[in-house]
Amino acid sequence: MAKELIKGNYAIAQAALNAGCECYFGYPITPQTEIGEYLSLKMPEAGLAYVSAESEIAAINMVLGACSTGARAMTTSSSCAVSLMQEALSYAASDELPVVLVNVMRAGPGLGSIYPAQGDYYQSVYGGGNGDYRMVVYAPSNVQECIELTYKTFYTAHKYRTPVILLADGVLGQMMEPAEFTQYSYPPVDNSSWALCGANGRAGKKICSYGPDEAKHIQHVKDLFEKYKLIAEREVMYEEYMTDDADFLLVGFGSIARHLKASVKVLRTKGIKAGMFRPITLFPFPEKRLNELADRCREVMTVEMNMGQMYTDVRLAVNGKTKTTLLNLRPAGEWMSVEEITEAVEKSTEKIYAGI
Amino acid sequence: MEENFIFAGFGGQGVLLAGKILANAFMLEGKNVTWYPCYGAEMRGGTVNCEIVVSNDEVSSVHKKDTDFAIVLNQLSFDKFISRVKAGGTIIANSSLVKILKPRSDIKYIFAPITEMAQKLGEIKTANIVALGVLASACHQLTTESLHKALEYVLPAHRKYLLPLNLEALKSGFDALAVAG
Repeated sequence: MAKELIKGNYAIAQAALNAGCECYFGYPITPQTEIGEYLSLKMPEAGLAYVSAESEIAAINMVLGACSTGARAMTTSSSCAVSLMQEALSYAASDELPVVLVNVMRAGPGLGSIYPAQGDYYQSVYGGGNGDYRMVVYAPSNVQECIELTYKTFYTAHKYRTPVILLADGVLGQMMEPAEFTQYSYPPVDNSSWALCGANGRAGKKICSYGPDEAKHIQHVKDLFEKYKLIAEREVMYEEYMTDDADFLLVGFGSIARHLKASVKVLRTKGIKAGMFRPITLFPFPEKRLNELADRCREVMTVEMNMGQMYTDVRLAVNGKTKTTLLNLRPAGEWMSVEEITEAVEKSTEKIYAGI
Repeated sequence: MEENFIFAGFGGQGVLLAGKILANAFMLEGKNVTWYPCYGAEMRGGTVNCEIVVSNDEVSSVHKKDTDFAIVLNQLSFDKFISRVKAGGTIIANSSLVKILKPRSDIKYIFAPITEMAQKLGEIKTANIVALGVLASACHQLTTESLHKALEYVLPAHRKYLLPLNLEALKSGFDALAVAG
């Protein structure tokens, strides 16, 4: 198939259909409303379930219900409305339901504004729900990745029976660029052992997060974390750009990575050996590889459109091996420009070369 | 090499669509391109704009602080974007709705009565396509042929009957400078 000019939101919507999404439950919010708009047209045509829910809380709980039957279900939303869904996500993790949630980030906290931001790193990676649980988080950086990682999000959710977040941002949701709908090529996942689909002729099954038995509950949480450990071993994804001989590393996730790459190119022409490292899975965080890269770097600079959230994970990964800094000129709105990033790195390297 | 374009005007003048056609034209030529709209609380009658970045390499940024070309279809957009044009860059203004003033001496100005030209074609709604024609005459890496292809590509089957009118609009815009001398 040839490339076509696609808006990030539409790319996610069509990719969800390609991945076999059978049910969508959602409530509109800028900057991701086009996802629901697109699906509200396509899903009824195809005999699939599109429900315009009365609220985000209703939408995510409908997803939990549909997922309990083994269906491929999804909701999409943005920042402040994703906050409303946190209780259900904690339940979904405990119930081991393959919930697919797309968050196209806008500015927070509170109602914030509709401008793009990356302020939901903590909310996505560390969770806003109660108890011990983790969620797999994929962070696309261009429209093609919106397609590929939507596929991956569905597959991972069902393969591991666990809620997965696709974490995009307002830039990505609203922009268009040439991309291609590749084939969804992941194998089918057998859910017959747990999906609730009527117990006619067999013993009943149940899905619940309530464990009145203390020992059983503790075992359940331990089992969940065994699963997360497996995911961490198998599912880490990241991108490296000119890291082979880099002694200055820029780290960023999502659509700002485009600026980091461009900045690396400019810095290279100025004789600065810069490279870029981009976590694609935010959980599991690619800490092992980042730690290796830190060995030969004089500085690891995290660049993000928030007050320094992924910076926490970067510092944990680098673990004191080298200097870590944060570049976050604005927590929302206009993405830091290539010039701003380049200038910050130049200032920093001047200090390094002066031995400060 | 990277070049960027800001299309701006009233909501309803078709600036987002013009940007989309421009981006398609570049895509069909095999170039890397991005289209990014302003998406504030815009409303009909307010201003709206989008930015197109085209590059032979990966696009470095979808939204830049300055621009090589600004195509402005109303006065508000002229006032808002004139400061964003790079030194040596070009502003194309719809003189039907924009006063012919040149407040900066370091940029090129192209004034064309875009709305009136569209009206002469019998359809005021073609103003955005006339503007694309003017742009094609001023931008080296854009041809009316690639815009023609993009128009064919973008128009859905049930709108294909509008292609001749739009091609006429494109030509009228492209010839505007020659006519103005």
